Amino acid sequence: MTHLELVDSAPREEDGPFSAGTPLPHRLPPGRHGIPANLVTEHQRLRLIAAMGEALAEHGYAGVTTTHVSERARVSTSTFYKHFGNLWDCVLAAYVATADRLCERIEAACSATEPPLSGLAVGIEAGLAFVAAEPAAAQLICAPAPLEATAIAAARRLLIARLAGMLRRSRGGESGNGPSGIDERLIDASLAFLCSRIGAGEVERLAELGPELTALLDRPRRAAA
Amino acid sequence: MRPEACAAAGEALQVETEARAPTPDATVREGEMEGALQVVGEVGYRAASVRAVLEYSGAHRKQFYDHFDSLEDCFGQAYEAWIERLGVDLLEAALGAGGWRESVQASLVRLFEFVIERPAIARALFLEVQVAGGAALAKHEEATERLGAALDSVRAEIAAAEQPPDATAFFVVGGIEAAICDVLAEGNPNRVWDALPELMHLTAGSYLGNEAAEEAFEEAKRLRERPAGEGEGR
Repeated sequence: MTHLELVDSAPREEDGPFSAGTPLPHRLPPGRHGIPANLVTEHQRLRLIAAMGEALAEHGYAGVTTTHVSERARVSTSTFYKHFGNLWDCVLAAYVATADRLCERIEAACSATEPPLSGLAVGIEAGLAFVAAEPAAAQLICAPAPLEATAIAAARRLLIARLAGMLRRSRGGESGNGPSGIDERLIDASLAFLCSRIGAGEVERLAELGPELTALLDRPRRAAA
Repeated sequence: MRPEACAAAGEALQVETEARAPTPDATVREGEMEGALQVVGEVGYRAASVRAVLEYSGAHRKQFYDHFDSLEDCFGQAYEAWIERLGVDLLEAALGAGGWRESVQASLVRLFEFVIERPAIARALFLEVQVAGGAALAKHEEATERLGAALDSVRAEIAAAEQPPDATAFFVVGGIEAAICDVLAEGNPNRVWDALPELMHLTAGSYLGNEAAEEAFEEAKRLRERPAGEGEGR
């Protein structure tokens, strides 16, 4: 199986002017801008990754092409192929980048809270805020991967394992109670649930789903009163 | 699942009760539809072609276009027919079992048997439908709702103060489908049996809480470990 790691692909301070949470400009200024070539290349790659989710949301897996992605990223198709071997490589990069951003948001929100018992609700709230802010990218990580994209299926398993680990920690223990594998199923179900809500056009209502999703994740593990 | 809920879902599926001999043309059409699902499940929706469907079914191009406007049309009609048949099959398995938990398990066992017997068709029905979108995806959503409604029948046995969230059926059906997609994407459909205890835990726990979840988990584990051919399911 393809070995993948969810790496930190978000821009860092040392990455240069396209980092530290600043919105990505649609394209660099034309002409002589004095920006180093490696930063220009990185900027193109980030634009392509961002464009992938949007192009998928518009055309779906059935219709999306490298041309759609390149046009959205305002680069040529040949530039696309300098960065990615094929469409699925770019989908994978977008998947991993989005999955990392989601996990970072949840971890940051949970680490800012004191009692571990509130971790679940806080994490879900942060996750839902991310999904509501980036529905196209979120749909990419919530929906099952198509047959052709085997590496994405592997990346999805890693994401689920990572989120399941967070879910276990939210209960105050690394391993949690009860049989193993249950938390992975709960995360699977949560992603499917969110996918269906985004698909139904309920993006604006996502933030309201926090208490319901918290109850859904909590109920199978909670002992009867 | 409660018999009346399953029966209602079955009626909604318009089950054909009178067996009639199919005409030769209907047999060809049926073969083309099966071919569309099989090919999509083998190579993916994006790479599927009418030519590959014809090779699988043995039909001629003219026959294909007499029956369908396009490959997309064929896939959509095939999807509708097969997802409804599978839905009826699962509900029938549920009706043959005792209580709600037993009927959920019987349906899952039937679903797993289908996944193992027809992995390519299962990939088309559960994975590639997300790629195809359109009419097929709408049928997928309808089937999900019907199965969810059958699962929800257990609410009648739960006290008002203990009712699970409204979205429980969506949540559970989504979790079951995701587990199936996972083994299909991995290319090892037999591994689906490993998920049975966890999915029973998810289903029973989401509606009835932890105690029922633990019981359902252990019961499913025993069933999974039983030698093939002994009793229910495998």
